[in-house]
Amino acid sequence: MSSLPTLRDKKRYIAFELTSEQTITRQEMGEETMNSICSLFGDTGASEINFGLMSYDGRYGIIRCARDSTTETRAALACINKIRGSRVSILVLGISGTIKGAMEKFIQQPLNKEP
Amino acid sequence: MSLFDARFYDFNVHLVPDSQDSLAMFASEAKKYGYSGIAILNSKTGNPGNIPENFSVHSAVEVSCKPSKIRDEIKRYRGSAEILVARGGDEEFNRAAVETAGLDILLQPAKFNHVLAKAAYDNSIAIGFNLGSLIRLRGEARIRELRTMRANLKYARKYGLAMLLTGAPSSRYDIRSPREMAALASLFGMTGEEAVGAMSAAPLDILRRKSPDYIQEGIEII
Repeated sequence: MSSLPTLRDKKRYIAFELTSEQTITRQEMGEETMNSICSLFGDTGASEINFGLMSYDGRYGIIRCARDSTTETRAALACINKIRGSRVSILVLGISGTIKGAMEKFIQQPLNKEP
Repeated sequence: MSLFDARFYDFNVHLVPDSQDSLAMFASEAKKYGYSGIAILNSKTGNPGNIPENFSVHSAVEVSCKPSKIRDEIKRYRGSAEILVARGGDEEFNRAAVETAGLDILLQPAKFNHVLAKAAYDNSIAIGFNLGSLIRLRGEARIRELRTMRANLKYARKYGLAMLLTGAPSSRYDIRSPREMAALASLFGMTGEEAVGAMSAAPLDILRRKSPDYIQEGIEII
């Protein structure tokens, strides 16, 4: 689906590092983040954030959010403390306007393995 | 220069004595997350071990007893170099705590009012916001905490109280970086500048008052 450049959603990509006791799969990570956003901001707030888990390899990952709601997304990420019984902590490495920028600037290694 | 180029401190770390996380490991993790120092609550560790460079570990004492005894308890520790923290309780406890000079931090008082705020300002007591409860709780309990923080923020702004943000971490999985803490603080209306001040300027001010060179506000040896 293409739209006019001026009508496109403005996005930001958040590079993060996950520290956990056990390995967390991509699906669990996505679900838990969505849960955290929903419980913190409700359904309308979650729809404005436009969350998406772009890539994730068990340790590093990239999350998409709306340009104007990076603070809210950070708060929601900070609220995640447990996934499937194992304690986790998410450290935001940086925020970029493109996926390529987030990868090159903050992660600096290819993410290939999909847990 | 970014707002977040400051030295950040977390003054309310509870390390469980028998946990796998040693102090040195916790300290290096906190440094990785962007902190310059921590204060360990009620620790009996004499030798902290190998702590990373440019990182300071302070000790703090939590005062918890009956409201009638809290004055004596605070006076007992007043001259020492330890940071005095009181966890907010009922109104009687909060009142006894803020009316005693020498206390440094009153953490998350649920029942706070303008009288207590004035007394806290007179005794230069900082009011602490426990963001760890926002991280760990869900649903109604978290809503109640957010309401408390919103009310406390109102009093702190009105009476010019020093504010202090803490995550109350007990393991390395509970540490959150300063920017995340600021984002959590924005949930109850705190601005970015206030949040940075609460993690950097307010703790440094407490440390300055605890240093041996400090005598009294406005007095110094030349």
